[in-house]
Amino acid sequence: MDFSSNIASQLNAGTILPEGIVIITLMVILIGDLITGRNSARWLPYVAIAGLLIAVLDLCLLWDLPEPDGFLGSFSSDNLSIVFRGIIALSTAVTIPMSIRYVQQSGTSLAEFIGIMLTATLGGMFLSGANELVTIFISLEMLSISSYLMTGYMKRDPRSNEAALKYLLIGASSSAIFLYGISLLYGLSGGKTNLMAIAANITDVSGTQSLGLAISLVFVIAGIAFKISAVPFHQWTPDVYEGSPTPVVAFLSVGSKAAGFALAIRLLVTAFAPLTEQWHFIFTALAILSMVLGNVVALAQTSMKRMLAYSSIAQAGFVIIGLIAGTDTGYSSMIFYLLVYLFMNLGAFTCVILFSLRTGTDQISEYAGLYHKDPLLTLGLSICLLSLGGIPPLAGFFGKIYLFWAGWQAGIYGLVLLGLVTSVISIYYYIRVVKMMVVKEPSEMSDAVENYPEIRWNLPGMRPLQVGLVVSVVITSLAGILSNPLFTLANDSVTTTPILQSAVVTQQLPQETITVSTQSLESDLDTSH
Amino acid sequence: MNLAEGVQIVSFGILAVMMLAAALGVVLLSNIVHSAFLLAGVFLSISGLYILLNGDFVAAAQILIYVGAVNVLILFAIMLVNKQENFSEIPGSKFRKIATAVVCIGLFVLLGTMILVTPWALDSTSPAVIENTIIALGEHFFSDYLLPFELASVLLLMAMVGAIILARRDLIPEIADTTDTVSTRLTLPERPRELTSIGNVEEIN
Repeated sequence: MDFSSNIASQLNAGTILPEGIVIITLMVILIGDLITGRNSARWLPYVAIAGLLIAVLDLCLLWDLPEPDGFLGSFSSDNLSIVFRGIIALSTAVTIPMSIRYVQQSGTSLAEFIGIMLTATLGGMFLSGANELVTIFISLEMLSISSYLMTGYMKRDPRSNEAALKYLLIGASSSAIFLYGISLLYGLSGGKTNLMAIAANITDVSGTQSLGLAISLVFVIAGIAFKISAVPFHQWTPDVYEGSPTPVVAFLSVGSKAAGFALAIRLLVTAFAPLTEQWHFIFTALAILSMVLGNVVALAQTSMKRMLAYSSIAQAGFVIIGLIAGTDTGYSSMIFYLLVYLFMNLGAFTCVILFSLRTGTDQISEYAGLYHKDPLLTLGLSICLLSLGGIPPLAGFFGKIYLFWAGWQAGIYGLVLLGLVTSVISIYYYIRVVKMMVVKEPSEMSDAVENYPEIRWNLPGMRPLQVGLVVSVVITSLAGILSNPLFTLANDSVTTTPILQSAVVTQQLPQETITVSTQSLESDLDTSH
Repeated sequence: MNLAEGVQIVSFGILAVMMLAAALGVVLLSNIVHSAFLLAGVFLSISGLYILLNGDFVAAAQILIYVGAVNVLILFAIMLVNKQENFSEIPGSKFRKIATAVVCIGLFVLLGTMILVTPWALDSTSPAVIENTIIALGEHFFSDYLLPFELASVLLLMAMVGAIILARRDLIPEIADTTDTVSTRLTLPERPRELTSIGNVEEIN
């Protein structure tokens, strides 16, 4: 009795209220589908979207909590985690409308699909706030296992089976490596699992513990880099993206990636704060490889989904620049870019889904002359792709400028210059698709466009697709010009988060300690004379 | 050294040798059924090590879950896919095996050095202080590890739903004959790519 009442008073369970709302939505969907059967597809997706939006609303109410730590320090609801949880919940709320028609067309059941996707969202949301190793691992597995399930959802398609198996095998081994890394952290800190306690207990950084810490750092980064698909841990990305149902790809490229970045910030900045120089070095290598390989290989792709896969690898490389910058502006530029990336990438995927539903293909050459048949789709896809490439008035341009500016201020000139060069390369392959759709004469139309069906938005499941398309295109085109609220949000979330503030301070510390030690050396010399 | 310590050291030696030999067998034997049975040996030796560490509940759970469930599942999977197949020798497999061995031994040396070099902060709590390990575990589950403990239930629920989806027999839907959109039978709407390069190679041959 004493024990339970004692614990209950300290839990501060209100910190996970948004996740609670998502869990309730998940239950409503699973049980509602059981009760009402196949007819449930008419209302279930909207319940899911409503639940996610309520969760986002609740996240807004949790802003600036006086006591952000919940569950005895397992979960931290500081403003950084709120922003990331918001990004993940929003990405699912945008992904669900585009999956309704897609899943129903393939004859698979919608309710379970949405249920698994909500579980993946929950995993990502918990991962963004997890402040303790066991919670981190469980939520990471929740995200991964639901992703494997969704990847293999098209059971009779060999490509989907192959993608699921590849993703499962590579994902399981990367989880195992990650687990080994965090178990080393547990051992080095003398049996602590809370990140703060680990940071406080690992004291002997340059001495005998340095080898263990370095190995643990490398293993942990291998796990994180798999989630954000940074080169050289990207091998699964193209195959999985090609073989998965497209809405799943959309979720993997935004929600799952945002969760990976949230984990990277929290784990590296707190537990690996003494090794800042080393992880900056490793991530610099990852960023260089991702930007170069992602952008160059994307040039050669003929399938739209594969091209977007390589483009998402490259975008991860750009976002890492903000992480390496390690300053307030660096972190807030990451958050701003991820917010913008959410809408432009999901917008592009909505267009790809719409096209493949109408024509049954995703080859880039089949898009030729689409402008003459479907102007709305052409406009939406063009805006989203140009924004991904970073063409000025669109949101992606401002996101990239902010990232590069933050990197330049932090003094990582080489990386920023490389980012500029590779984003010029990326513009080439985005423009190629736009040119294919817009410039071709009616006589040069591809077969798929030639036989393009009449556009009917009143088919079941098409209306949400249209709404999702219009919303993401409008936000992509306006978020750049009216970006002030987003900037403020990203900045506030970073400047009011205690872990990042202390990290910025500790990064400045070493220079002071050096001066102190030289002074003490001088005084030693003085005394010896 | 008293009798208890001597027994501990001897049993540790036996368990370690058993575990290493079984683990090497799992990797090196070519018959997959033998590997699966040896895997059970590895799990049993690990649970013996847990008992030496005073983790009685963990040892029991290890046997129940890993030997009783996971390993039996592996054996079932092997029996269901009872297919004899002689794989043709991959060219350069000898080189690959040597490369794998070098990488593995290198990793082992690195990790071994790290374990020996690092001064581990050992927990000084005497095992006599914790009377009942189950109560200690339960207190942790319902206090500082409450969140992951509850999260695991959501994870298990969804894993169950997912397993049922993957394993159940679906009615293959009739393709609705519409020209508006593409319908498929549990497959992706995108057509597979035509693998032109392979066709060309065959033509050349």
